[in-house]
Amino acid sequence: MAVSFQQIEEKLKTEARRLLESGQVSLVLAWGRGFDEKHPMPYVAKGASDVDGIVFNEFCTHNLARYLVRYPRGTKMAVAVKAADSRAVVQLIQEDKVKRHDLVILGIPVYGIKNPKTGEIIDGKTTCGLYNPVLYDILIAEEVHGQPVSSPYAVLAEYEAMDQDARFAFWKKELDRCIRCYACRKACPMCYCDPCFIDQNKPKWGEKSPETPGNLMYHLTRFHHLAGRCIDCGECSRACPVDIPLYLFHKKVAKECEEMFGQAAGMSIEDKPVLVNFRMEDSDKILE
Amino acid sequence: MSFEPKILGIACNWCTYTGADLAGTTRLQYPQNLRVVRVMCSSRINPSFIFRAFQLGADGVLVGGCHPGDCHYNTGNLYARRRLAVTKKILEFAGLEPGRFRVEWISASEGNKFAEVVTEFTGQIKALGPQTKFKIS
Amino acid sequence: MSRIGVFVCHCGLNIAKTVRVSELAEFAATLPDVVVAKDYKFMCSTPGQEMIANDIREHRLDRVIVTACSPLMHEQTFRKVLAASGLNQYLLTIVNIREQVSWVTHNIDEGTSKAKALLNGAVNRSRLLMPLTSRVIDVNPDVMVVGAGIAGIQASLELANTGRKVYLVEKNSTIGGHMAQFDKTFPTLDCSACILTPKMDSVLQHKNIQLLTSCEVSEVKGFVGNFDITIRQKARYVDHDKCNACLACTEKCPGKSVSEWDEGLAKRKAIYIPFPQAVPQKPVIDREACTFFKKGKCRLCEKVCEQKAIDFEQQDTFSTVKVGAVIVATGYDLMDTRDLIQYGYGKYPGVYNALEVERLFNSAGPTGGKVILRDGKEPQAIAILHCIGSRDKNSYEHCSRVCCMYSLKFAHLFKEKTSADVYHFYIDIRAAGKGYEEFYNRIIEEDVKFIRGKGARVAKSADEPDRLMVEAEDTITGKFIRLPVDMVVLSPAMIPRSNAKDIARLFNLSTDKQGFFMERHPKLAPLSTMSEGVFIAGVCQSPKDIPDTVAQANGAAAEALTIVVKDKMELEATTVMVNPASCCACQNCVRVCPYGAPFFKEDKGVSEINEALCKGCGLCASVCPTGAIIARHFTNDQVLAEMEGLMEF
Repeated sequence: MAVSFQQIEEKLKTEARRLLESGQVSLVLAWGRGFDEKHPMPYVAKGASDVDGIVFNEFCTHNLARYLVRYPRGTKMAVAVKAADSRAVVQLIQEDKVKRHDLVILGIPVYGIKNPKTGEIIDGKTTCGLYNPVLYDILIAEEVHGQPVSSPYAVLAEYEAMDQDARFAFWKKELDRCIRCYACRKACPMCYCDPCFIDQNKPKWGEKSPETPGNLMYHLTRFHHLAGRCIDCGECSRACPVDIPLYLFHKKVAKECEEMFGQAAGMSIEDKPVLVNFRMEDSDKILE
Repeated sequence: MSFEPKILGIACNWCTYTGADLAGTTRLQYPQNLRVVRVMCSSRINPSFIFRAFQLGADGVLVGGCHPGDCHYNTGNLYARRRLAVTKKILEFAGLEPGRFRVEWISASEGNKFAEVVTEFTGQIKALGPQTKFKIS
Repeated sequence: MSRIGVFVCHCGLNIAKTVRVSELAEFAATLPDVVVAKDYKFMCSTPGQEMIANDIREHRLDRVIVTACSPLMHEQTFRKVLAASGLNQYLLTIVNIREQVSWVTHNIDEGTSKAKALLNGAVNRSRLLMPLTSRVIDVNPDVMVVGAGIAGIQASLELANTGRKVYLVEKNSTIGGHMAQFDKTFPTLDCSACILTPKMDSVLQHKNIQLLTSCEVSEVKGFVGNFDITIRQKARYVDHDKCNACLACTEKCPGKSVSEWDEGLAKRKAIYIPFPQAVPQKPVIDREACTFFKKGKCRLCEKVCEQKAIDFEQQDTFSTVKVGAVIVATGYDLMDTRDLIQYGYGKYPGVYNALEVERLFNSAGPTGGKVILRDGKEPQAIAILHCIGSRDKNSYEHCSRVCCMYSLKFAHLFKEKTSADVYHFYIDIRAAGKGYEEFYNRIIEEDVKFIRGKGARVAKSADEPDRLMVEAEDTITGKFIRLPVDMVVLSPAMIPRSNAKDIARLFNLSTDKQGFFMERHPKLAPLSTMSEGVFIAGVCQSPKDIPDTVAQANGAAAEALTIVVKDKMELEATTVMVNPASCCACQNCVRVCPYGAPFFKEDKGVSEINEALCKGCGLCASVCPTGAIIARHFTNDQVLAEMEGLMEF
């Protein structure tokens, strides 16, 4: 590894301090200390004095794009992003939730981020498998090259090969375990709806207690709401306290969208989200 | 007694619903398992309507809209096509049999096509048997 | 708690035959919140309507469900009953148990149980309905008529005579349409020009008609009462304001092209008026044929024009016209019979189509009214082939309706103008019109031969190389016939204009299987379309003769008038609204709306709706992830409640 996590942390601090001191931004979204080294937390530096609280290590999985929509429109912000996280920023710009000119994107090319629960290096099996940001203003480290690149959709083959009944049984078993804590939507940079459809009473789309029908309604509809928007950072699944592999479903929908509409989420700020767009040459084949 | 499926239809006012009326006016016969909800445009169909229909016990869901390019609202069905395609992929990956959800473009002049599609789809759902996966018991 | 009244219509036996209507009413009475349920023979009749009105008062109903025919049929009728009884008209629900139940099954058990399910869904939905207020809008008093054939001319004159301003749009450089090409009209044999040209002149002279020739509709915005229509004025290269119609230019012009008006049987100049009685009487330059445009030199017309009206720099221009209603009367094309190679059209000079023959008869035509073939000879034997491309599943299934009659007219004129033997090859003769059967009988008397059998093939005669051979099966004798003739007349299918799809898209019209514009209802609204405020007349709707076309044009004018005669009109109240508390500012609604109705309020951080632009399709409501957008009358909870009801039984 060309650049150490320590070097990234130092560079992040330097840039954060410079941006805050110059008044270019009023806050910097980064990672900070958690209760132990394995559990860093999202961290907001609002002044130069906060900068020392910034950390970066191999367990900084959080997608900080999640927090961009928390601040009033027009707030000048810097945000530290890894590869997938940068796609979330791009997607939010597409959706006009943040303006490009209000952002300073601190891009972090990095390989070796680990899932704190399993200790495994995060790659294309559970995320989009990119290691370099797709959009940034300041690059915090040299781009990563030569690391194993796995197709983000290879992991799906096993599930696509199942027959309908087996796949239903699989998902029923998984989604039955959902305790409806909504950590998935809290972690998701694209889940900015307030209120979420599932919290509503008129109409009541599904039961709020953790039972199969309501769980299905919540998750299936959420998969649809995120179709063509999910950037495959995998945070929903890492946030899930009962380890439901939500990323699998999101990957499947992302794959289908890419095949049907020829566009992956969060790759270019010029794109329009695929489900609020159409092309005359769309084919009826997609309905088969 | 043989299995008589419940099929939910959602039809746009301008094309498919009018086409269904035409099937009636011309006295075409088709199975009575379909119950149609009228909406103004196929683009009105919220994906959750489809999920909900299967939870309510629909054995099949048939969506009907204007042919692409002929939408009364110009482009509504072009959005609907994409959104319903994704709905279908989601249902299938969750384990629904692919044959249970279908989208058809049926114009106001295609009473024949309406009757044919309903007949054919009803037969297909009968062959698939009751939908139990998503139905809330 | 709602107080719902359910009214089940028998529609005579239309419904009662395959739905047990009294059982359905008894079933309705058991459903929650239903306080009265009745069945009656004809709910749409006056006593039926009075029954509903009385029950609304007597039972203090706040919701009404009429279980009858399609809402597209009588929704308005019953809405009026509610309104007259002091109940908001949007509290009505129609359950369609005729078109979608009783007429599509023979099984009364199946019919009854499906009707119950539909009714159960309707009761569920009915409870959640909200009273809605219609929007009142200003109505533009002017009308646009698209297409200036006999239908467009007639409609324009009728409207203009009531004092309305009419914009008459014609894509060609003259008005008149196909009728201007005809010589005589059946069955009276009066001269087409004699009845048409005075009308064309009236259009030109009428102070309320603005004639827009060489123009096409390029964009339609707005809605009934308030259309904004963009017109493309195609470059004529002649300033019609300056031109004094001396036509010196047309004499000097060296450029030549085939005359469209003469169906290619004669030539015309590059600067030309299509025919001597054209309206307006002012020339245009055909860019394709003009020597100057082709070679960069010539400008003879410019030199001879004393008015300095020639303008080679002229460009297409666009202007916007505001109108309250539109009549589309864009007419038809004849099928291109070259595609039917068995008839040899385009291959054998002796084969003509019907419009070419019209021109041969016409004294202003290429032969001065004489029947002279392309080889300069007068025919000795003529075969008229009916139903070419019409009534033919391989081409067009529809009957073109006028061919039998004009073919009979041709026979008469051939007899009058030549000494030829005339043969009809026909499937059957359709002469259903005033004076038509009499005309048919008259032609039979004129020594015209009728062979009942569709012409199968036209070939070169083997024995006489300069003659043609028509082959057919005479279905009366059962014999195969080969008849040598000099001239073959094809009566081709009348088909939609080649650009009918574009017109349909512009005005949001539906088209039928053949591509003709579809009427809102085949019997009760034959001139209305699914597009509110847009009417159709003439052959663009389906093939018809001149009397029917003129009758439709008058009808369409009256329909358009019912809209523009009022200053204000009520619009459907079924638009969308935003609940700002739930809006997550994703702006999906803004991205998808084809009409630009939703817009994003930056300061409030929520979307809002410009209701004047909203057409109520509900697309925005389905792309709204939080359900903040409420599609009135089709809200999420209303749709879900109906679905629940439908799936219960």
